[in-house]
Amino acid sequence: MPSLTERLANVTKSKLRTVQEYFSLAGRAIGFIFVRPFYMQDFIQQMDEIGVKSLGIVLLTGFFTGMVLALQSSVQLKTFGATMYIGRLVSASMIRELGPVLAGLMVAGRVGSGIAAQIGSMRVTEQIDALNTLGTDPIKKLVTPRVLAALVMMPILTIINDFVGICGGNLISSLLVGIPSGLYWRTVWEQIASDGFTLHFIPNDFVQGITKPFVFGGVIAISACYFGLNTTGGTEGVGVATTRTVVLASVLILILDYFLTQILLTVLGT
Amino acid sequence: MTDDERDDESASSPAKRDAVKREADRRGDGRRVAERSTTKVRAAIRAELEKDEVAADAETEQVDAPAEPETVIELDHVSLAFESPILEDVSLVACKGETICIVGESGTGKSTALKLILRLLVPDKGRVNILGQDITGLSFEEALKVRQRMGMVFQGAALFDSMSVFENIAYPLREHTELDEDEIEARVREKLQFVDLEPDRVMEQLPSELSGGMRKRVGIARGMADNPEIMLYDEPTSGLDPLTTGTITRLILKLQRELNVTSIVVSHDIRSVFRMATRVAVLHDRRIAFFGTPEDMAASDDTYLRDFLGGN
Ligand SMILES: Nc1ncnc2c1ncn2[C@@H]1O[C@H](COP(=O)(O)OP(=O)(O)OP(=O)(O)O)[C@@H](O)[C@H]1O
Ligand SMILES: [Mg+2]
Repeated sequence: MPSLTERLANVTKSKLRTVQEYFSLAGRAIGFIFVRPFYMQDFIQQMDEIGVKSLGIVLLTGFFTGMVLALQSSVQLKTFGATMYIGRLVSASMIRELGPVLAGLMVAGRVGSGIAAQIGSMRVTEQIDALNTLGTDPIKKLVTPRVLAALVMMPILTIINDFVGICGGNLISSLLVGIPSGLYWRTVWEQIASDGFTLHFIPNDFVQGITKPFVFGGVIAISACYFGLNTTGGTEGVGVATTRTVVLASVLILILDYFLTQILLTVLGT
Repeated sequence: MTDDERDDESASSPAKRDAVKREADRRGDGRRVAERSTTKVRAAIRAELEKDEVAADAETEQVDAPAEPETVIELDHVSLAFESPILEDVSLVACKGETICIVGESGTGKSTALKLILRLLVPDKGRVNILGQDITGLSFEEALKVRQRMGMVFQGAALFDSMSVFENIAYPLREHTELDEDEIEARVREKLQFVDLEPDRVMEQLPSELSGGMRKRVGIARGMADNPEIMLYDEPTSGLDPLTTGTITRLILKLQRELNVTSIVVSHDIRSVFRMATRVAVLHDRRIAFFGTPEDMAASDDTYLRDFLGGN
């Protein structure tokens, strides 16, 4: 039986190695975007898989989140007699926080698990070895298209999520609170404009709202590919890989969200 | 080995034995089936070897050839361990046009040896030479280049299950050749016919829609699509019926004779091993227990080898 310190040292070493492998996979996957051949068909297929097919859940969660935000803030704002500012609250929370994070979590669950399961079963059925044997780099063929598709699609999904969320807020505030739509949308815009602009025309809220999902997309795709490629132990291992992907991606999204917010607030000077 | 055992079992009832023998006679290879004593096994093997005249011719040619045979694959004192040692001090040589069969019990590292040759694994000790090039120190990209000269048939076929049979076989062609669509289709059809599959029936099917034997044959077709100089087969006949086994054995022989392909075949099926092999390597206890011609193997007095050949 090895001593406690010895075991601790071993665990630390293997964890560090995992982190190193994770980043090396990320580096190679992104580096391959600029190296021929580029697997266009796989890229398009993954955009469909990651983006288009996630549209349903993103629309649904976005809409209901916007509605509940409007509902909750109406209660709060009523005590100050400021219900006309519902639009400001809904848009600020949707665009800066809830839109990116919720879309990220939904995509981590739906797409991350799917990618990990697919690549994991390719690993255990020796299809990854077959790719290697046929002279294809599996990272270039499998990981790069998925990572790139996630980097492109996550911001788009988030913008859609934000938009339907604000629409949901509009619905509730006009139906239940009695705020006219014109006023609602004007306060939404006021909020966006009040945070200042980058390069004179890009609202700072949008910079935050787009940077985050871009990072989250990368985290989801790379985590899924990492666990998928490192699957061991047959079909059971595929299940383990999927679970780990969803857990790691979700946790990383929430942690990175905090640090990204801090960094962006400093950089954008608000 | 399992196939063989099953054969013996099924042949043990007299009625069945007759039926099997008749079937074998009909196919023109009436031999072994139920012989159990070592001498009979050896005799059967000798008969087997003589029967394949073309093979014998090819072999004599090779033996008579004055030039040094060119070494194509060489495992040079290779050792590899995962959690525990798998291979220790394994050396193996395959010359141009040879068919080396690797046999051994389940889990002795036969598939691992093939993966070393493909450089999907790197040995802990020793070297692997392919076509005169030491591949142990190659970078990932250089290894991809070397692999293009080899075709591999995986134990479980390892077909890409998101692609049709056609796309699977066309894959290596699309990756490394400049062939246009028509040429690719012609090549795919040719390879499918080579493995006795009807191109029009199977081409558009997905691997999940095929039977195990068909999948294996598609795997062979894909492995040889790019006309590689080296073919590696991991149990190409396990789990197949005797007729298909015969077909695949003939196919491997055909590749060797017609295209002078160097092959390494991992197989449990002793019968086809003796039909195909120019030399046999027996893996036992992490090491090469025997490496030599089938005749030497049949003539050997080593207890393990005799047990392995089903001598008792
Ligand atoms: N990636 C791996 N990690 C750890 N151990 C492995 C790995 N691959 C193979 N092994 C171990 O190596 C040994 C040899 O495996 P291998 O697949 O080469 O056997 P084999 O001779 O091909 O057996 P079979 O005839 O059943 O196919 C096995 O004990 C297996 O558990
Ligand atoms: Mg094996």
